[in-house]
Amino acid sequence: MNKPQILVVEDDMAVGNLIATTLETQNYQFHRVKNGAEALLDALSYRPEVMLLDLGLPDMDGIDIIKKIRSWSNMPIIVVSARSEDADKVAALDAGADDYLTKPFSVEELLARLRVALRRVLYDSQKTSDEASTYENGSLKIDYAAGCAYRDGVEIHLTPIEYKLLCLLAKNTGKVLTHNYILNEIWGSQTASDTPSLRVFMATLRKKLEVDPSHPQYIQTHIGVGYRMLRQKQEGES
Amino acid sequence: MLVCLSAAPSNARAIQAAAWLKEGSHATLTALTVETPAFSSMSEEERRRYQAHLQMAETLGARTATVYGDDPALQVAEYARISGITGVVLAPADLCQSRLGPARGAVDRLRKLAPELDLHLISDRGQPRVGPRRGWSLGLQARISLRDTLRTAAVLAVCTLAGLLLVRLGFAATNAILIYLLGVLGIAMLTDGRGYSLISSLLSVLIFNYFFTYPYFTLLSDPGYLATFAVMFLVALLGSSLTTRVKRQAVQSADRAYRTEVLLETSQKLQKAEGVQSIVSVIDGQLGKLLERDLFLYLVGEDGALQAPLRFSHANGSDWAACFSDDERAAAEWVLAHNKSAGAGTGNLPDRACLYLAVRGTERVLAVVGIDLRESAELGAFEKNLMVAILDECGLALEKEVMRRAKQELEETARQEALRANLLRGISHDLRTPLTSISGNAGILLENGCVLDENKRRALYRSIYDDAMWLIHLVENLLSITRMENGSMKLNIQPELLYDVFQEALSHLDRNAGRHHIELELPDDLLMADMDARLIVQVVINLVNNAVKYTPEGSHILISARAQGDWVLVNVADDGPGVPDGEKKKLFEMFYTLNNTSGDGRRGLGLGLALCKAIVTAHGGRIAVTDNQPKGALFSFTLPVSEVNTHE
Repeated sequence: MNKPQILVVEDDMAVGNLIATTLETQNYQFHRVKNGAEALLDALSYRPEVMLLDLGLPDMDGIDIIKKIRSWSNMPIIVVSARSEDADKVAALDAGADDYLTKPFSVEELLARLRVALRRVLYDSQKTSDEASTYENGSLKIDYAAGCAYRDGVEIHLTPIEYKLLCLLAKNTGKVLTHNYILNEIWGSQTASDTPSLRVFMATLRKKLEVDPSHPQYIQTHIGVGYRMLRQKQEGES
Repeated sequence: MLVCLSAAPSNARAIQAAAWLKEGSHATLTALTVETPAFSSMSEEERRRYQAHLQMAETLGARTATVYGDDPALQVAEYARISGITGVVLAPADLCQSRLGPARGAVDRLRKLAPELDLHLISDRGQPRVGPRRGWSLGLQARISLRDTLRTAAVLAVCTLAGLLLVRLGFAATNAILIYLLGVLGIAMLTDGRGYSLISSLLSVLIFNYFFTYPYFTLLSDPGYLATFAVMFLVALLGSSLTTRVKRQAVQSADRAYRTEVLLETSQKLQKAEGVQSIVSVIDGQLGKLLERDLFLYLVGEDGALQAPLRFSHANGSDWAACFSDDERAAAEWVLAHNKSAGAGTGNLPDRACLYLAVRGTERVLAVVGIDLRESAELGAFEKNLMVAILDECGLALEKEVMRRAKQELEETARQEALRANLLRGISHDLRTPLTSISGNAGILLENGCVLDENKRRALYRSIYDDAMWLIHLVENLLSITRMENGSMKLNIQPELLYDVFQEALSHLDRNAGRHHIELELPDDLLMADMDARLIVQVVINLVNNAVKYTPEGSHILISARAQGDWVLVNVADDGPGVPDGEKKKLFEMFYTLNNTSGDGRRGLGLGLALCKAIVTAHGGRIAVTDNQPKGALFSFTLPVSEVNTHE
């Protein structure tokens, strides 16, 4: 795959310029549009690898754009918005966005999120059908058939729920999963009593998984929103 | 203006006249009922008429009141004196409920007792004089009960046996007379109604005649005894009616005592009550105890419409659905619109199953009480009056509460206005500095960017970046604090790991924080607290940034958290110069900054700590600053701990 295409949907000139300049410095190929209708059109015609989406567009709500695109495409969508409430983040993520960046954001942060998304695209494109029985991410490996997880070839001892959580995060690598989504998938409910359990299981899982839990490599916490499994750099990637 | 209520037919005209006078003079009208001993023995027809008069008075906008006593004239005079009433409208018959003395006499008495009152007399002419005649009809219309009849017979039989025994023992037959008198008094005490007194008086004379006067066992007797019989009958009759009256008065004074007690208790409870909820529960408790019927209450919302009903069950197995049908609700709304009672037992919408009463303040209806009357009959006058008195009192309490709230809101608005003004003043001053720096530096770079050397340019970029970051923090804090202050912020409380919170906070610290040693100490890394994570992260960021700002480079900052009973205690400690004692309290005030004098030197709106306090307080916790040992400042706050219940 050469030169990933990025679609930038942003109606504000200054922020649009900032993003454009940032992408130019990194030699990404990109295309800028300023409203929802163009965004949908270009998403179809240009087939970008990643979409950077502002929620507050003049013609339609960003959440609707996410829902429309999700009906036919799985491309990573990174929301870039001035709406900073947790509820807004959760709404966008639940609608199908992969990541959420609040304005004002730092350029490094934007690039980091972009790299995570592109890594997912790269991985998805390389994935072949026979790999579906195992999962590999950096030094982490999951053998779905055996129901075991390994780090550097050493088995990690996980409780059934921790294992289920790990699998769920692994299957959605690169995507921020909201608390409610995880509770629904693992416990089949969203009752408040399970929320503390989720926090505890994630903490214990992370302790078993991460080499240095205070600088997590695999599981990222988005406080008030959810968790995300990060795709590790593959060999040969810059 | 006062009008006396009574069952006399002329009373309706009196009420009408009083209403006209009231309209003319813009006075308030009170309809006064004097409950005399005769009141409880009114005939059905009279009772209905009285109720009709009461309703009529209410319809014409009168406040109703009830007093108790034997002498209506005296009661009216007393009430007028206490309530500052200047004019009384009455038909003379209204004052004759005691049927003692002629109507004219009562009016004269009233005139004598209260010479300053304007009396407006409505003529009784053309109306049947029911007052005096009623007494006799009442006396004869006794309620016959098997129990009382048996008692009467038993007492008379005992008296006869005792009399016979005395005669057999050689005592004079006259002793028997006294025994019968005693018996008749006893009967008066044991039975209800005057009928038994009258009958027993008559019977005792006849029996005495039969058993103790020659010729024995006949009703014939020596004419010399006729005087004896007559006196005996009169003494028996007078004695028994006096006893009956005393008994009635005892009942009445018990009622009065009960009434006073209930009202006193109500007002005591209302005094203690705080907030609408507790006033409502007083209404529920007091009315429930009094009526033992199911109640429900519609509070009037701020939009002036009825809110959803609150139910209070005091009788068993009630079927609420019937009380909340559209028809019933319409009756409640009618009460709200007209400020009059309606429903069962009243003149308005009497076909409804429930009785609806308005809980009034001085001007408007504050709530509507519904009383389920399907199970049992109409309420008695005593209960009804007491109920109205309780509701009036509750109405006043509710109004006070409403007014208190309005005042509080006003104060709150004023405070917010002051806050906003301060905020604007603070902002316009403190925003200028970083904005000047940003625009100035950017200007230099635009104009002379190529002339400057690399290091100079970097310094300018850095300065722009730092000032922009400072503005970002400021805007973040400002947004949060305005949301906290105007109460529109809804906390999104979730159990969160303190560890995650600290990690998140540490990743958002100022650039300058790199020159301080920041450490984390968390004995239990699964420690959780209930919080709105985003806000608490902001609290921690603010506290740490503060510590960074006010301590020299290289100082140590320790962030720690531990459980303490039901709370999690979070500490942010530094080993800088600390906070002087005098400043500690003021620190959490808005727009307060340490070294306030230094003007342009150190920037800060003094919002950070005020925001921390607002956030922590909204979580139910406390925030404080103390001295760190051996030196420095220690900021600590508490959050409710979350119970972890992991089940796999």
